[in-house]
Amino acid sequence: MSAGTATRVGALTLANPILAASGTFGYGLDLVEFCPPERLGAVVTKGLSPRPRLGNPTPRIVETAAGMINAIGLQNIGVEAFCRDALPVLRERAALVAVNVFGERMEEYLEVMERCEREEGVAAYELNVSCPNVTAGGMEFGHDPVQLERLTRMCRAATRRALWVKLSPNAPDLVATARAAVAGGADALTLINTVRAMAIDPVARRPVLARGCGGLSGPAIKPIALRMVWEVHRALPEVPLVGIGGVETGRDAVEFLLAGASAVQVGTAIFRDPTAPLRILSELEQFCVEHGVAEASSLIGGLQWP
Amino acid sequence: MIPRRDLPVRVAARAELSPTCFRLTLSTPEVIDAVPGQFGMLACGDTFDPLLRRAFSLAGVVRRVGRTEVELLIKEVGRGTARLRRTVVGAELRLLAPLGNGFTLEGGDRPLALVAGGIGLPPVLFAAEVLAARGAAFDLFVGAVSGKELLEVERCGRAAAAVGGELVLATDDASRGEEGFVTDAVDRRLAAGRSYARALVCGPDPMLAAMAKVGRRRGVDVELSLEEAMACGVGVCLGCVVELSDGRVVPSCKEGPVFSAERLAARWWS
Repeated sequence: MSAGTATRVGALTLANPILAASGTFGYGLDLVEFCPPERLGAVVTKGLSPRPRLGNPTPRIVETAAGMINAIGLQNIGVEAFCRDALPVLRERAALVAVNVFGERMEEYLEVMERCEREEGVAAYELNVSCPNVTAGGMEFGHDPVQLERLTRMCRAATRRALWVKLSPNAPDLVATARAAVAGGADALTLINTVRAMAIDPVARRPVLARGCGGLSGPAIKPIALRMVWEVHRALPEVPLVGIGGVETGRDAVEFLLAGASAVQVGTAIFRDPTAPLRILSELEQFCVEHGVAEASSLIGGLQWP
Repeated sequence: MIPRRDLPVRVAARAELSPTCFRLTLSTPEVIDAVPGQFGMLACGDTFDPLLRRAFSLAGVVRRVGRTEVELLIKEVGRGTARLRRTVVGAELRLLAPLGNGFTLEGGDRPLALVAGGIGLPPVLFAAEVLAARGAAFDLFVGAVSGKELLEVERCGRAAAAVGGELVLATDDASRGEEGFVTDAVDRRLAAGRSYARALVCGPDPMLAAMAKVGRRRGVDVELSLEEAMACGVGVCLGCVVELSDGRVVPSCKEGPVFSAERLAARWWS
Protein backbone atom coordinates (compact mmCIF):
# COMPACT_ATOMS: atom_id res chain seq x y z
CA MET A 1 0.00 0.00 0.00
CA SER A 2 1.13 3.54 -0.63
CA ALA A 3 -0.25 6.97 0.05
CA GLY A 4 -1.03 9.72 -2.45
CA THR A 5 1.19 12.74 -1.93
CA ALA A 6 -0.10 15.31 -4.43
CA THR A 7 -1.22 18.60 -2.97
CA ARG A 8 -2.49 21.93 -4.21
CA VAL A 9 -1.31 25.37 -3.21
CA GLY A 10 -3.94 27.59 -4.74
CA ALA A 11 -4.08 26.86 -8.46
CA LEU A 12 -0.71 25.14 -8.39
CA THR A 13 -0.56 21.36 -8.12
CA LEU A 14 2.55 19.89 -6.49
CA ALA A 15 3.58 16.24 -6.78
CA ASN A 16 4.15 16.21 -3.04
CA PRO A 17 3.96 18.67 -0.15
CA ILE A 18 7.69 18.76 0.69
CA LEU A 19 9.64 21.79 -0.56
CA ALA A 20 13.21 22.97 -0.08
CA ALA A 21 13.21 26.35 1.66
CA SER A 22 14.84 29.52 0.41
CA GLY A 23 18.43 29.99 1.53
CA THR A 24 19.03 26.35 2.39
CA PHE A 25 19.17 24.72 -1.04
CA GLY A 26 21.16 27.20 -3.13
CA TYR A 27 19.62 27.62 -6.56
CA GLY A 28 18.23 24.09 -6.64
CA LEU A 29 21.26 22.35 -8.11
CA ASP A 30 23.85 22.48 -5.35
CA LEU A 31 22.88 19.17 -3.77
CA VAL A 32 21.60 17.21 -6.79
CA GLU A 33 23.36 13.98 -5.86
CA PHE A 34 21.67 13.99 -2.44
CA CYS A 35 18.34 15.51 -3.33
CA PRO A 36 17.32 15.86 -7.00
CA PRO A 37 15.14 19.00 -7.18
CA GLU A 38 12.58 17.35 -9.49
CA ARG A 39 11.67 14.87 -6.76
CA LEU A 40 10.48 17.63 -4.42
CA GLY A 41 7.12 19.35 -4.47
CA ALA A 42 9.07 22.47 -5.40
CA VAL A 43 12.39 24.16 -4.74
CA VAL A 44 12.44 27.72 -3.48
CA THR A 45 15.55 29.58 -4.60
CA LYS A 46 17.86 31.61 -2.44
CA GLY A 47 16.40 35.14 -2.31
CA LEU A 48 17.18 36.86 -5.59
CA SER A 49 17.72 40.58 -6.00
CA PRO A 50 18.07 42.51 -9.27
CA ARG A 51 21.85 42.63 -8.88
CA PRO A 52 24.25 40.35 -6.96
CA ARG A 53 24.60 41.04 -3.23
CA LEU A 54 27.68 40.29 -1.11
CA GLY A 55 25.81 39.86 2.17
CA ASN A 56 26.95 40.66 5.70
CA PRO A 57 30.37 40.38 7.37
CA THR A 58 31.26 37.15 9.24
CA PRO A 59 30.58 35.59 11.69
CA ARG A 60 27.19 35.16 10.04
CA ILE A 61 25.99 32.03 11.80
CA VAL A 62 25.99 30.62 15.30
CA GLU A 63 24.50 27.44 16.66
CA THR A 64 22.15 27.71 19.62
CA ALA A 65 20.14 25.12 21.57
CA ALA A 66 18.26 23.06 18.95
CA GLY A 67 18.67 25.85 16.44
CA MET A 68 20.94 28.31 14.75
CA ILE A 69 20.95 32.05 14.20
CA ASN A 70 21.94 33.41 10.82
CA ALA A 71 22.61 36.87 9.50
CA ILE A 72 23.68 36.06 5.94
CA GLY A 73 22.17 39.25 4.52
CA LEU A 74 20.76 37.80 1.31
CA GLN A 75 24.03 37.18 -0.46
CA ASN A 76 22.99 36.02 -3.92
CA ILE A 77 24.15 35.83 -7.52
CA GLY A 78 21.43 38.16 -8.82
CA VAL A 79 18.45 37.31 -10.99
CA GLU A 80 20.35 37.55 -14.27
CA ALA A 81 22.91 34.88 -13.34
CA PHE A 82 20.11 32.69 -11.98
CA CYS A 83 18.14 32.90 -15.22
CA ARG A 84 21.27 32.28 -17.28
CA ASP A 85 22.98 29.50 -15.28
CA ALA A 86 20.54 27.66 -13.02
CA LEU A 87 17.07 28.02 -14.48
CA PRO A 88 17.77 26.23 -17.80
CA VAL A 89 19.06 23.20 -15.89
CA LEU A 90 16.11 23.21 -13.49
CA ARG A 91 13.79 23.42 -16.51
CA GLU A 92 15.61 20.54 -18.16
CA ARG A 93 15.14 18.48 -14.99
CA ALA A 94 11.45 19.45 -14.86
CA ALA A 95 11.80 20.77 -11.32
CA LEU A 96 9.02 22.97 -10.02
CA VAL A 97 10.64 26.30 -9.18
CA ALA A 98 9.52 29.05 -6.85
CA VAL A 99 11.72 32.14 -7.07
CA ASN A 100 12.21 33.92 -3.76
CA VAL A 101 12.17 37.63 -4.59
CA PHE A 102 13.91 40.34 -2.63
CA GLY A 103 14.37 44.07 -3.11
CA GLU A 104 15.52 47.00 -1.05
CA ARG A 105 12.85 49.13 -2.73
CA MET A 106 9.47 48.04 -4.07
CA GLU A 107 10.63 48.61 -7.66
CA GLU A 108 13.39 46.06 -7.16
CA TYR A 109 10.88 43.29 -6.44
CA LEU A 110 9.31 44.13 -9.80
CA GLU A 111 12.71 44.12 -11.51
CA VAL A 112 13.38 40.56 -10.35
CA MET A 113 9.93 39.38 -11.39
CA GLU A 114 10.03 41.09 -14.77
CA ARG A 115 13.34 39.39 -15.55
CA CYS A 116 11.84 36.00 -14.59
CA GLU A 117 8.67 36.66 -16.59
CA ARG A 118 10.81 36.44 -19.73
CA GLU A 119 11.70 32.83 -18.84
CA GLU A 120 9.79 29.56 -18.88
CA GLY A 121 10.06 27.29 -15.88
CA VAL A 122 9.17 29.55 -12.96
CA ALA A 123 5.97 28.32 -11.33
CA ALA A 124 5.72 30.74 -8.43
CA TYR A 125 7.19 33.79 -6.77
CA GLU A 126 7.71 33.95 -3.05
CA LEU A 127 8.02 37.56 -1.89
CA ASN A 128 10.58 37.89 0.85
CA VAL A 129 9.21 40.61 3.10
CA SER A 130 10.49 39.05 6.29
CA CYS A 131 14.29 38.86 6.18
CA PRO A 132 15.56 40.20 9.51
CA ASN A 133 19.12 40.62 8.26
CA VAL A 134 19.10 43.56 5.88
CA THR A 135 18.88 47.29 6.58
CA ALA A 136 16.56 48.16 3.70
CA GLY A 137 13.65 46.18 2.33
CA GLY A 138 12.78 42.86 3.92
CA MET A 139 10.97 43.24 7.21
CA GLU A 140 10.23 46.90 6.60
CA PHE A 141 7.56 45.81 4.08
CA GLY A 142 6.48 42.74 6.00
CA HIS A 143 5.70 44.51 9.26
CA ASP A 144 3.44 47.22 7.93
CA PRO A 145 0.13 45.94 6.53
CA VAL A 146 -0.37 49.08 4.41
CA GLN A 147 3.03 48.79 2.73
CA LEU A 148 2.69 45.03 2.38
CA GLU A 149 -0.65 45.28 0.63
CA ARG A 150 0.78 47.88 -1.74
CA LEU A 151 3.85 45.79 -2.56
CA THR A 152 1.79 42.65 -3.06
CA ARG A 153 -0.62 44.47 -5.35
CA MET A 154 2.25 45.81 -7.46
CA CYS A 155 3.74 42.33 -7.79
CA ARG A 156 0.33 40.81 -8.47
CA ALA A 157 -0.05 43.09 -11.46
CA ALA A 158 3.28 41.91 -12.84
CA THR A 159 2.50 38.20 -13.15
CA ARG A 160 -0.14 35.57 -13.72
CA ARG A 161 2.05 33.00 -12.00
CA ALA A 162 1.44 31.94 -8.43
CA LEU A 163 2.33 34.65 -5.92
CA TRP A 164 3.26 33.67 -2.40
CA VAL A 165 4.19 36.06 0.39
CA LYS A 166 6.58 34.84 3.08
CA LEU A 167 5.51 36.33 6.38
CA SER A 168 7.58 37.39 9.34
CA PRO A 169 6.99 35.98 12.81
CA ASN A 170 8.40 39.27 14.06
CA ALA A 171 5.52 41.36 12.76
CA PRO A 172 3.49 43.06 15.49
CA ASP A 173 0.23 41.59 14.16
CA LEU A 174 0.63 38.40 12.14
CA VAL A 175 -2.99 38.03 11.11
CA ALA A 176 -3.16 41.66 10.00
CA THR A 177 -0.14 41.17 7.72
CA ALA A 178 -1.63 37.94 6.41
CA ARG A 179 -4.87 39.76 5.55
CA ALA A 180 -2.91 42.56 3.89
CA ALA A 181 -1.00 40.15 1.65
CA VAL A 182 -4.22 38.41 0.66
CA ALA A 183 -5.93 41.74 0.01
CA GLY A 184 -3.01 42.64 -2.26
CA GLY A 185 -3.59 39.51 -4.30
CA ALA A 186 -1.36 36.81 -2.81
CA ASP A 187 -2.32 33.25 -3.80
CA ALA A 188 -0.69 31.73 -0.74
CA LEU A 189 1.27 32.65 2.37
CA THR A 190 4.51 31.09 3.52
CA LEU A 191 5.08 31.14 7.24
CA ILE A 192 7.28 31.57 9.08
CA ASN A 193 10.61 33.23 8.32
CA THR A 194 13.28 33.22 11.05
CA VAL A 195 12.63 34.63 14.50
CA ARG A 196 14.80 37.62 15.42
CA ALA A 197 17.36 36.48 17.95
CA MET A 198 20.83 37.02 19.33
CA ALA A 199 23.71 35.13 20.89
CA ILE A 200 26.26 36.68 23.24
CA ASP A 201 29.88 35.77 23.89
CA PRO A 202 30.11 36.31 27.66
CA VAL A 203 33.91 36.49 27.73
CA ALA A 204 34.20 39.07 24.95
CA ARG A 205 30.97 40.71 26.17
CA ARG A 206 29.95 41.08 22.54
CA PRO A 207 27.31 39.57 20.26
CA VAL A 208 28.60 36.47 18.49
CA LEU A 209 27.35 37.59 15.09
CA ALA A 210 29.11 40.45 13.36
CA ARG A 211 25.74 42.06 12.72
CA GLY A 212 24.67 41.71 16.35
CA CYS A 213 21.30 40.05 15.75
CA GLY A 214 20.04 37.52 13.27
CA GLY A 215 17.23 35.07 12.62
CA LEU A 216 16.66 31.87 14.59
CA SER A 217 15.75 28.69 12.70
CA GLY A 218 15.66 24.96 13.39
CA PRO A 219 13.66 22.70 15.73
CA ALA A 220 13.69 25.42 18.42
CA ILE A 221 11.12 27.47 16.45
CA LYS A 222 8.82 24.66 15.34
CA PRO A 223 6.21 25.18 18.09
CA ILE A 224 6.09 28.90 17.30
CA ALA A 225 5.69 28.19 13.57
CA LEU A 226 2.93 25.64 14.19
CA ARG A 227 1.00 28.08 16.35
CA MET A 228 1.32 30.80 13.71
CA VAL A 229 0.22 28.55 10.84
CA TRP A 230 -2.74 27.42 12.88
CA GLU A 231 -3.62 31.00 13.86
CA VAL A 232 -3.56 32.26 10.27
CA HIS A 233 -5.43 29.19 9.04
CA ARG A 234 -8.14 29.76 11.60
CA ALA A 235 -8.46 33.44 10.66
CA LEU A 236 -8.25 32.85 6.89
CA PRO A 237 -9.35 29.24 6.30
CA GLU A 238 -9.65 29.69 2.52
CA VAL A 239 -6.07 30.91 2.06
CA PRO A 240 -3.48 28.24 1.16
CA LEU A 241 -0.53 28.21 3.53
CA VAL A 242 3.00 26.88 3.13
CA GLY A 243 4.33 25.95 6.55
CA ILE A 244 7.97 26.28 7.53
CA GLY A 245 9.94 26.25 10.77
CA GLY A 246 12.02 23.44 12.24
CA VAL A 247 10.68 20.61 10.09
CA GLU A 248 13.04 17.69 10.67
CA THR A 249 10.86 14.59 10.27
CA GLY A 250 7.82 13.30 8.45
CA ARG A 251 5.81 13.66 11.66
CA ASP A 252 6.76 17.34 11.81
CA ALA A 253 5.40 17.72 8.27
CA VAL A 254 2.16 16.00 9.31
CA GLU A 255 1.81 18.44 12.22
CA PHE A 256 2.09 21.42 9.86
CA LEU A 257 -0.49 19.90 7.48
CA LEU A 258 -2.86 19.38 10.39
CA ALA A 259 -2.36 22.97 11.51
CA GLY A 260 -3.54 24.11 8.11
CA ALA A 261 -0.56 24.13 5.76
CA SER A 262 -1.04 22.75 2.23
CA ALA A 263 2.70 22.18 1.83
CA VAL A 264 5.78 22.30 4.02
CA GLN A 265 9.24 23.73 3.49
CA VAL A 266 12.38 22.08 4.84
CA GLY A 267 15.23 24.46 5.65
CA THR A 268 17.79 24.13 8.41
CA ALA A 269 17.37 20.33 8.38
CA ILE A 270 19.15 20.34 5.00
CA PHE A 271 22.28 21.69 6.70
CA ARG A 272 22.32 18.64 8.98
CA ASP A 273 21.38 16.18 6.29
CA PRO A 274 21.49 17.06 2.59
CA THR A 275 18.93 14.31 1.88
CA ALA A 276 16.49 15.70 4.48
CA PRO A 277 13.63 16.74 2.14
CA LEU A 278 13.49 13.29 0.51
CA ARG A 279 13.84 11.51 3.83
CA ILE A 280 11.02 13.63 5.27
CA LEU A 281 8.86 12.87 2.23
CA SER A 282 9.35 9.14 2.66
CA GLU A 283 8.66 9.41 6.40
CA LEU A 284 5.47 11.32 5.59
CA GLU A 285 4.36 8.57 3.19
CA GLN A 286 5.22 6.00 5.84
CA PHE A 287 3.14 7.87 8.42
CA CYS A 288 0.19 7.96 6.05
CA VAL A 289 0.44 4.22 5.38
CA GLU A 290 0.72 3.40 9.07
CA HIS A 291 -2.26 5.56 9.97
CA GLY A 292 -4.54 4.62 7.12
CA VAL A 293 -4.32 7.99 5.40
CA ALA A 294 -4.88 7.43 1.68
CA GLU A 295 -4.08 10.98 0.60
CA ALA A 296 -1.62 13.17 2.50
CA SER A 297 -3.64 16.21 1.42
CA SER A 298 -6.56 14.95 3.50
CA LEU A 299 -4.53 15.91 6.57
CA ILE A 300 -4.59 19.61 5.69
CA GLY A 301 -6.36 21.59 8.39
CA GLY A 302 -7.43 18.36 10.06
CA LEU A 303 -6.52 19.45 13.57
CA GLN A 304 -9.16 18.40 16.09
CA TRP A 305 -9.57 21.41 18.35
CA PRO A 306 -10.68 20.55 21.88
CA MET B 1 37.27 15.36 -8.28
CA ILE B 2 36.42 12.74 -5.69
CA PRO B 3 32.64 12.51 -5.21
CA ARG B 4 31.34 13.63 -1.82
CA ARG B 5 29.17 11.19 0.07
CA ASP B 6 27.33 10.96 3.35
CA LEU B 7 29.14 7.98 4.82
CA PRO B 8 28.01 5.76 7.65
CA VAL B 9 31.06 5.55 9.93
CA ARG B 10 31.83 3.61 13.08
CA VAL B 11 34.23 4.87 15.73
CA ALA B 12 37.08 2.36 15.48
CA ALA B 13 39.39 4.04 17.99
CA ARG B 14 39.64 7.10 20.17
CA ALA B 15 42.89 8.30 21.71
CA GLU B 16 43.79 11.26 23.91
CA LEU B 17 46.63 13.27 22.40
CA SER B 18 47.00 16.25 24.75
CA PRO B 19 45.12 17.97 27.57
CA THR B 20 42.71 19.40 24.97
CA CYS B 21 42.99 17.23 21.86
CA PHE B 22 42.06 13.70 20.83
CA ARG B 23 42.11 11.49 17.78
CA LEU B 24 39.07 9.73 16.32
CA THR B 25 39.57 6.90 13.88
CA LEU B 26 36.40 6.34 11.87
CA SER B 27 35.84 3.21 9.86
CA THR B 28 33.52 2.87 6.88
CA PRO B 29 32.86 -0.11 4.61
CA GLU B 30 32.88 2.30 1.66
CA VAL B 31 35.96 2.85 -0.48
CA ILE B 32 36.76 6.53 -0.27
CA ASP B 33 39.68 8.79 -1.03
CA ALA B 34 40.57 12.39 -0.28
CA VAL B 35 43.23 15.00 -0.94
CA PRO B 36 45.08 16.53 2.05
CA GLY B 37 43.32 19.77 2.90
CA GLN B 38 39.85 18.40 2.26
CA PHE B 39 37.46 18.10 5.15
CA GLY B 40 34.37 16.31 6.37
CA MET B 41 31.21 17.28 8.25
CA LEU B 42 30.74 14.92 11.20
CA ALA B 43 27.39 14.50 12.92
CA CYS B 44 28.00 14.58 16.68
CA GLY B 45 24.97 12.42 17.44
CA ASP B 46 21.35 12.12 16.44
CA THR B 47 19.76 14.67 18.77
CA PHE B 48 18.98 18.33 18.08
CA ASP B 49 21.56 19.62 20.51
CA PRO B 50 24.14 20.08 19.11
CA LEU B 51 22.12 20.62 15.95
CA LEU B 52 24.73 20.98 13.25
CA ARG B 53 27.56 18.80 12.07
CA ARG B 54 31.10 19.86 12.84
CA ALA B 55 33.69 20.52 10.15
CA PHE B 56 37.04 18.75 10.55
CA SER B 57 40.00 18.66 8.20
CA LEU B 58 40.87 15.06 7.46
CA ALA B 59 44.12 13.96 9.11
CA GLY B 60 44.41 10.77 7.08
CA VAL B 61 42.54 8.36 4.87
CA VAL B 62 43.79 4.77 4.94
CA ARG B 63 42.37 2.02 2.75
CA ARG B 64 42.24 -1.36 4.42
CA VAL B 65 40.77 -4.64 3.23
CA GLY B 66 37.00 -4.17 3.10
CA ARG B 67 36.99 -0.75 4.73
CA THR B 68 38.46 2.73 4.79
CA GLU B 69 39.70 4.45 7.92
CA VAL B 70 39.42 8.20 8.25
CA GLU B 71 41.37 9.97 10.95
CA LEU B 72 40.37 13.19 12.64
CA LEU B 73 42.35 15.18 15.21
CA ILE B 74 39.95 17.21 17.29
CA LYS B 75 40.31 19.92 19.89
CA GLU B 76 37.57 20.15 22.49
CA VAL B 77 36.20 23.67 22.24
CA GLY B 78 32.45 23.36 22.79
CA ARG B 79 29.43 21.11 23.14
CA GLY B 80 29.89 19.24 19.87
CA THR B 81 33.54 18.40 20.37
CA ALA B 82 32.97 17.59 24.07
CA ARG B 83 30.35 15.09 23.00
CA LEU B 84 32.66 13.57 20.41
CA ARG B 85 35.38 13.26 23.05
CA ARG B 86 33.04 11.06 25.08
CA THR B 87 32.07 8.93 22.07
CA VAL B 88 32.60 5.24 22.65
CA VAL B 89 34.35 2.87 20.29
CA GLY B 90 31.70 1.23 18.14
CA ALA B 91 29.43 4.29 18.05
CA GLU B 92 27.84 4.95 14.68
CA LEU B 93 28.05 8.43 13.20
CA ARG B 94 27.77 10.02 9.79
CA LEU B 95 30.53 11.80 7.93
CA LEU B 96 29.87 13.89 4.83
CA ALA B 97 33.16 13.76 2.94
CA PRO B 98 35.38 14.57 1.20
CA LEU B 99 34.48 18.25 0.92
CA GLY B 100 36.27 21.31 -0.43
CA ASN B 101 39.54 21.50 -2.29
CA GLY B 102 42.97 20.43 -1.11
CA PHE B 103 46.57 21.59 -0.95
CA THR B 104 48.72 21.67 -4.09
CA LEU B 105 51.18 18.88 -3.35
CA GLU B 106 53.33 19.13 -6.51
CA GLY B 107 56.55 20.96 -5.67
CA GLY B 108 58.69 20.36 -8.75
CA ASP B 109 62.36 19.98 -7.83
CA ARG B 110 62.21 22.03 -4.63
CA PRO B 111 60.90 20.81 -1.28
CA LEU B 112 57.64 22.01 0.26
CA ALA B 113 57.34 23.67 3.65
CA LEU B 114 54.49 22.15 5.63
CA VAL B 115 53.49 24.44 8.49
CA ALA B 116 50.99 23.72 11.27
CA GLY B 117 49.94 25.70 14.33
CA GLY B 118 48.01 24.06 17.18
CA ILE B 119 44.97 22.15 16.00
CA GLY B 120 45.84 23.18 12.44
CA LEU B 121 47.92 20.01 12.29
CA PRO B 122 45.45 17.53 10.69
CA PRO B 123 45.62 18.58 6.99
CA VAL B 124 49.36 19.26 7.33
CA LEU B 125 50.00 15.82 8.83
CA PHE B 126 47.87 14.25 6.09
CA ALA B 127 49.96 16.10 3.47
CA ALA B 128 53.21 15.02 5.17
CA GLU B 129 52.23 11.35 5.18
CA VAL B 130 51.05 11.42 1.57
CA LEU B 131 54.25 13.17 0.46
CA ALA B 132 56.36 10.75 2.49
CA ALA B 133 54.67 7.82 0.74
CA ARG B 134 55.41 9.44 -2.61
CA GLY B 135 59.02 10.18 -1.70
CA ALA B 136 58.53 13.92 -2.25
CA ALA B 137 60.73 16.25 -0.22
CA PHE B 138 59.45 18.56 2.50
CA ASP B 139 60.31 20.12 5.83
CA LEU B 140 57.64 19.98 8.50
CA PHE B 141 57.13 22.84 10.95
CA VAL B 142 54.79 22.26 13.89
CA GLY B 143 54.00 24.89 16.49
CA ALA B 144 51.92 24.91 19.67
CA VAL B 145 51.50 26.98 22.81
CA SER B 146 53.48 24.44 24.81
CA GLY B 147 55.16 21.06 24.47
CA LYS B 148 52.14 19.39 26.04
CA GLU B 149 49.95 20.65 23.20
CA LEU B 150 52.20 19.37 20.42
CA LEU B 151 50.31 16.54 18.72
CA GLU B 152 51.48 13.38 16.94
CA VAL B 153 55.15 14.35 17.21
CA GLU B 154 56.42 10.84 16.50
CA ARG B 155 54.33 10.48 13.36
CA CYS B 156 55.49 13.89 12.18
CA GLY B 157 59.10 12.85 12.77
CA ARG B 158 58.67 9.57 10.90
CA ALA B 159 57.05 11.26 7.90
CA ALA B 160 59.77 13.92 7.62
CA ALA B 161 62.58 11.41 8.16
CA ALA B 162 61.22 9.18 5.39
CA VAL B 163 62.19 11.82 2.82
CA GLY B 164 65.21 13.25 4.64
CA GLY B 165 63.25 16.33 5.69
CA GLU B 166 63.56 18.28 8.90
CA LEU B 167 60.91 18.30 11.63
CA VAL B 168 61.00 21.68 13.35
CA LEU B 169 59.01 22.05 16.56
CA ALA B 170 58.28 25.46 18.06
CA THR B 171 56.44 26.39 21.24
CA ASP B 172 55.38 29.76 22.57
CA ASP B 173 56.76 28.95 26.03
CA ALA B 174 59.93 27.21 24.76
CA SER B 175 58.98 24.05 26.64
CA ARG B 176 59.85 22.02 23.54
CA GLY B 177 61.61 22.80 20.26
CA GLU B 178 62.46 26.32 19.21
CA GLU B 179 61.08 29.25 21.19
CA GLY B 180 58.41 31.43 19.62
CA PHE B 181 56.09 31.25 16.66
CA VAL B 182 56.41 28.48 14.14
CA THR B 183 56.19 31.06 11.33
CA ASP B 184 59.38 32.67 12.67
CA ALA B 185 61.05 29.26 12.54
CA VAL B 186 60.14 29.03 8.84
CA ASP B 187 61.38 32.59 8.28
CA ARG B 188 64.74 31.74 9.89
CA ARG B 189 65.22 28.79 7.49
CA LEU B 190 64.37 31.00 4.52
CA ALA B 191 66.75 33.72 5.75
CA ALA B 192 69.49 31.10 6.00
CA GLY B 193 69.00 30.27 2.31
CA ARG B 194 66.60 27.31 2.41
CA SER B 195 64.33 27.39 -0.63
CA TYR B 196 60.78 26.04 -0.82
CA ALA B 197 58.46 25.56 -3.79
CA ARG B 198 55.50 26.45 -1.63
CA ALA B 199 54.32 26.57 1.96
CA LEU B 200 51.18 24.63 2.91
CA VAL B 201 49.79 26.11 6.10
CA CYS B 202 47.02 25.52 8.61
CA GLY B 203 46.54 27.12 12.01
CA PRO B 204 44.89 30.02 13.80
CA ASP B 205 44.16 33.18 11.77
CA PRO B 206 47.03 35.31 13.18
CA MET B 207 49.46 32.54 12.29
CA LEU B 208 48.05 32.30 8.76
CA ALA B 209 48.41 36.06 8.34
CA ALA B 210 51.99 35.90 9.66
CA MET B 211 52.86 33.10 7.27
CA ALA B 212 51.31 34.97 4.34
CA LYS B 213 53.53 37.95 5.17
CA VAL B 214 56.65 35.79 5.45
CA GLY B 215 55.82 34.24 2.08
CA ARG B 216 55.33 37.59 0.43
CA ARG B 217 58.55 39.00 1.89
CA ARG B 218 60.61 35.94 0.96
CA GLY B 219 58.99 35.20 -2.39
CA VAL B 220 57.43 31.88 -1.39
CA ASP B 221 53.95 30.87 -2.55
CA VAL B 222 51.74 30.20 0.42
CA GLU B 223 48.54 28.13 0.57
CA LEU B 224 46.40 28.67 3.65
CA SER B 225 43.75 26.31 4.96
CA LEU B 226 41.13 28.55 6.57
CA GLU B 227 38.67 27.79 9.33
CA GLU B 228 35.28 29.51 9.24
CA ALA B 229 32.08 28.67 11.10
CA MET B 230 29.88 26.70 8.72
CA ALA B 231 26.49 25.05 9.01
CA CYS B 232 26.33 22.86 5.90
CA GLY B 233 29.81 22.37 4.42
CA VAL B 234 28.34 22.08 0.93
CA GLY B 235 27.95 25.68 -0.19
CA VAL B 236 24.30 26.40 0.56
CA CYS B 237 24.23 28.12 3.96
CA LEU B 238 26.75 30.84 2.99
CA GLY B 239 27.91 31.10 6.60
CA CYS B 240 31.59 30.42 5.92
CA VAL B 241 32.34 33.02 3.27
CA VAL B 242 35.71 34.69 2.79
CA GLU B 243 36.47 37.81 0.82
CA LEU B 244 38.90 37.50 -2.08
CA SER B 245 41.26 40.11 -3.49
CA ASP B 246 39.06 40.40 -6.61
CA GLY B 247 36.14 41.48 -4.42
CA ARG B 248 34.24 38.21 -4.63
CA VAL B 249 32.81 36.73 -1.44
CA VAL B 250 32.90 32.94 -1.67
CA PRO B 251 31.97 30.02 0.58
CA SER B 252 35.21 28.61 1.98
CA CYS B 253 33.64 25.14 2.11
CA LYS B 254 33.44 24.96 -1.68
CA GLU B 255 36.11 27.30 -3.08
CA GLY B 256 38.39 26.47 -0.14
CA PRO B 257 39.15 25.68 2.57
CA VAL B 258 42.60 26.04 0.96
CA PHE B 259 43.34 29.40 -0.66
CA SER B 260 46.48 30.80 -2.17
CA ALA B 261 47.35 33.69 0.17
CA GLU B 262 47.52 36.06 -2.80
CA ARG B 263 43.86 35.35 -3.64
CA LEU B 264 42.62 36.52 -0.24
CA ALA B 265 41.47 40.08 0.44
CA ALA B 266 43.93 42.50 1.96
CA ARG B 267 42.58 42.16 5.49
CA TRP B 268 44.20 38.78 5.64
CA TRP B 269 47.56 40.44 5.31
CA SER B 270 47.13 43.17 7.88
